[in-house]
Amino acid sequence: MSQKEDHNDDAALAGEYVLHLLDGEELAVFEARLTMEPALRALVRDWDASLVALTDGIAPITPPAMVKDKLQAVLFPDAAKPKRSLWTWLAGGVAVAAIVVGAAFLTPSLIQDPVFEPSLTASVAAQDGTLVVAARFIAQTNALELTREAGAARPGRVLELWLIAEGSDAPVSLGVLPADTETRIELTQDIAQRLANGLLAISDEPLGGSPTGAPTGEVLAVGPVTNA
Amino acid sequence: MRVSLGDREAFSLLYDATSSKLFGVCLRVLNNRAEAEDALQDVFVKVWNKADRYKAGGYSPMTWLITLARNTAIDRLRARKTGNVDIDDVHDLSDGSPTPEAEAIASSERKRLNDCFEELESDKSEAVRRAYLDGDSYKDLAARYDVPLNTMRTWLRRSLMTLKDCLSR
Repeated sequence: MSQKEDHNDDAALAGEYVLHLLDGEELAVFEARLTMEPALRALVRDWDASLVALTDGIAPITPPAMVKDKLQAVLFPDAAKPKRSLWTWLAGGVAVAAIVVGAAFLTPSLIQDPVFEPSLTASVAAQDGTLVVAARFIAQTNALELTREAGAARPGRVLELWLIAEGSDAPVSLGVLPADTETRIELTQDIAQRLANGLLAISDEPLGGSPTGAPTGEVLAVGPVTNA
Repeated sequence: MRVSLGDREAFSLLYDATSSKLFGVCLRVLNNRAEAEDALQDVFVKVWNKADRYKAGGYSPMTWLITLARNTAIDRLRARKTGNVDIDDVHDLSDGSPTPEAEAIASSERKRLNDCFEELESDKSEAVRRAYLDGDSYKDLAARYDVPLNTMRTWLRRSLMTLKDCLSR
């Protein structure tokens, strides 16, 4: 076969390949050659570029929105996790409250266990001040002491406290706040270790707390955990 | 394409700009909405995973995307016909020698292709169309035109060469 015939043969073969007309061994051999022969790849590309014109007459049709939603969930799986929805919420309403300097000292006399000083504190506050909870962590006892300084749960609802640990994917529930203004929560060692540099948040939840393990209602207050 | 930077926002923009054309192509090939939706999803997953290779392939962006959509839809169609589930890309578009092709060139290519198709006898250009858009195999085409399989292949290869000669004129 002359060189020209070789080339013609390859050009036709590349066209058949682009049309998906090759199969079995012929297809396998062609694909193996493709990996090694730039000239063959160029022939394939030329056919692709020419034959794509056959789609010119095809009218665009808007796909259903859920296709994009599913894609986002597949390609960016972190977006589907609760942390994301929490942040979306945050962006939607409550801004991170400014750290209240000295919040830890507002109610020192009410603390049950005066022997230990808190190592970490946070003021979990709504931006407009309608809900403020001061939090103090006592490292020696793994206790988180909470004082609700303003606001209360909505009628028929409860306040649930969450920790979004530094670098974490999802908020962890620290529990539902009781009606008392003073509360003490015993943290597990694992949670206690993740408190530093985390963010505390309070969400509005149905009685008994979030049924899903992630916040389901509005985030009412947030505050960063800082060193005391 | 900015997608090759792995930019998630760029991906969203690209989807908004191109998904309806690509969905149209998938729907044309598969003629089934649910399957076309699945195919479209496959296409964009491939776009996401292969965007770095697009740059090296020497394709214009729309040619690359439409070809990917058409190939994905044809693979799905074939899998449906044969009951096979092997829909991994038969047809990889990556290439080591970049020759960027402007959309302007592509559109003049389109006019040229249509002109060249007109040089073929109508049933021969129709056979190429059917392979490209309906995923017809040689067997399908031989049955349609009622000729032996080898004759069909000789026929179609000759048509391809006529097209090629015309296109390179």
